[in-house]
Amino acid sequence: MTCEEFERVLPELGDGHTTEQEAHLKSCSACSDLVADLNAISQQARLLQGSEEPSPWVWNSIEVALQQEGLIRQPHLARSQPPAPLLGWKLRWLVPAAAMFLVAFGVLMFQRGTGQPPVAEQQTPPVGVETAGLQPMAGDDLQLLKTVGERMPSMRAEYEANLRSVNAYIRDAEESADSDPNDEVAQQYLRNAYEQKAMVYEMALDRSLP
Amino acid sequence: MTDAKKQQSNKLSEAEAIERAKLGDAEAFEALYNLHKRRVYSLCLRMTANTAAAEDLTQEAFLQLFRKIGTFRGESAFSTWLHRMSVNVVLMQLRKKGLPVVSLEETMETEEDAPRKELGADDARLAGSVDRMQLQRSIAALPPGYRMIFLLHDVEGYEHNEIAEMVGCSIGNSKSQLHKARMKLREILKTSRAEKAAKP
Amino acid sequence: MQWGMLIMCRKQRAAIFAVVILVLVAFAAAETTRKEMHFKVGRRASVSIVNAYGPISVKPGPGKRVVVTAILYSAKVEVDQSSRGHRVSVFSHLLDGATPDTGRVDYEVLVPADANVTLHSTTGPLHVEKLHSDMILEGSGAVVEVRDVSSGHIQIKTLNGPVTLTNVSDGHVDITSVSGDVALNMVNGSVVHVNSSSGKIHYDGDFGDAGDYSLTTHSGDIEAIAPAYASIEVVARSVQGRVENDFPLQPEHTSFVARAGSAFAGTMGEAASSVKLLSFSGKIHLKKH
Repeated sequence: MTCEEFERVLPELGDGHTTEQEAHLKSCSACSDLVADLNAISQQARLLQGSEEPSPWVWNSIEVALQQEGLIRQPHLARSQPPAPLLGWKLRWLVPAAAMFLVAFGVLMFQRGTGQPPVAEQQTPPVGVETAGLQPMAGDDLQLLKTVGERMPSMRAEYEANLRSVNAYIRDAEESADSDPNDEVAQQYLRNAYEQKAMVYEMALDRSLP
Repeated sequence: MTDAKKQQSNKLSEAEAIERAKLGDAEAFEALYNLHKRRVYSLCLRMTANTAAAEDLTQEAFLQLFRKIGTFRGESAFSTWLHRMSVNVVLMQLRKKGLPVVSLEETMETEEDAPRKELGADDARLAGSVDRMQLQRSIAALPPGYRMIFLLHDVEGYEHNEIAEMVGCSIGNSKSQLHKARMKLREILKTSRAEKAAKP
Repeated sequence: MQWGMLIMCRKQRAAIFAVVILVLVAFAAAETTRKEMHFKVGRRASVSIVNAYGPISVKPGPGKRVVVTAILYSAKVEVDQSSRGHRVSVFSHLLDGATPDTGRVDYEVLVPADANVTLHSTTGPLHVEKLHSDMILEGSGAVVEVRDVSSGHIQIKTLNGPVTLTNVSDGHVDITSVSGDVALNMVNGSVVHVNSSSGKIHYDGDFGDAGDYSLTTHSGDIEAIAPAYASIEVVARSVQGRVENDFPLQPEHTSFVARAGSAFAGTMGEAASSVKLLSFSGKIHLKKH
């Protein structure tokens, strides 16, 4: 069997080869390299299945359409509006959980978007750049800014300024909540601060815009 | 919990969500969306190479599914039903835009499209070193006809008879297009590696 | 004589300059393309516009139609559209090499007054008026303006674009802004929440509709102006900033701790609405009309 003959039947080959084809592969390094390469491409391709995540905007639009078409017949409370009783002062245990969810949500979304494996929710102390008296930024924030810089360079400075503002908010809110864990106003600050952070990440990752 | 049990409990959750969605339960719709959004979106994204278009098609695929969920009787796997719908939505869009879905005639391919034959070439192997990001970029660079078949077979796992039915070509054509797509990808990946190696 | 000649020369120069400008404007205008799209929709249609660069203005139009007029500033941007049933989507599709100038599209949209609207933009500005429906407006740097809207859920997200709402009634308002200022004039509803980091919040209204009003910032100042007849239960606190109040409040039994100059709480009238004014380091001032 020649290489030309082998390549002619290659599209028809599944996982099995005939004896003649096996013999040719054993004797011909070019054809065996070709088969190995094509198999590697095929195997790597399978890992791409379901590897991308749509923006939250997609679900929002679907939900609106379902409501309008009357397909949703039982009311559903959107994440941005907790049930009325929880808007009162009894957020003591829910607020930290909701806050951690918001940050984790934003960080996980970002990490999936850049193909990075998930890391622990707790942000490690930054290895980032400290700029003239400003607080150094955590690794995830730096990575987000890098992504923003690549996708929309003109927006990078704006995102950096907003991230710093939000991080300062989180720091102050955490300090306030730590000094008095029973202070419900402090818990409200913390929740708001995390919401802001999640929004910055969401906007930066919004793929409907450049 | 063992993998089998996990799969079992996940299946029950999906089945439960389907029944609740038929009754108009909002959380059930959202649960079904979250279970399948990545696969549907990834498929649309790779087929269109445009995130805005992919999101719109994802939305459309799920809406079509949810509109018809009352008719789902469980004859096939829910995910299969959804993904077929997604493929149909994408194909309709491509046809509407006049973009080639698949090359129906092999003779229609130009010299540029067909990958060069490298008989007896002594090039380095790719095996074991196909970088995922590189592969993603290379797929986006494929001609649309090759890309479609490659995505449906190698990424999404459809068989040639299923692909032939979906896109309206013969099984032989589907196999031939897949082979040419893989050969083209091999060529693009090798060229890219050579260019990288040549950089100082 | 010489002075007369000088004036003549100046007039001639001015005329020539004006002609040159007109020619340049005409030339620039010739580069733009106008595109108009019409869609038939039903009750409570859903309209979505995604436009990276350029303004989007949404107003009510006649009948059950959506009319989208787009001015494209160059061939580096296309407008894609899709419509299924009551759902209309239009988005600006940037081509390779598009910049904020060449990728700009100006949208003017007419929709039925009960159509739900979703607008996404980087630069904006975004303008919506005279609808009674739900809307989602998002833009990192977009100026956002909403006026004369009722009975709708308004969700606005911005990084540093200023937000202005005027004459919004019977609404559910949810605004998140990092550094953009937020101004609410005659805004009432069952829920009015503004969450800002460094942007200022200005509220001028009567906190009506027995609603839940929450205006919170990190370092931005909060100024709330209300009439003497406002019926509210109010708490205000700034951890590091100054807090002032022009109203004689009735004390109320609450776990909230009042501190002169940095926190106060109390009621006015029937205390129909709940008002929270919270800042970490910004100033808070509850003013009387």
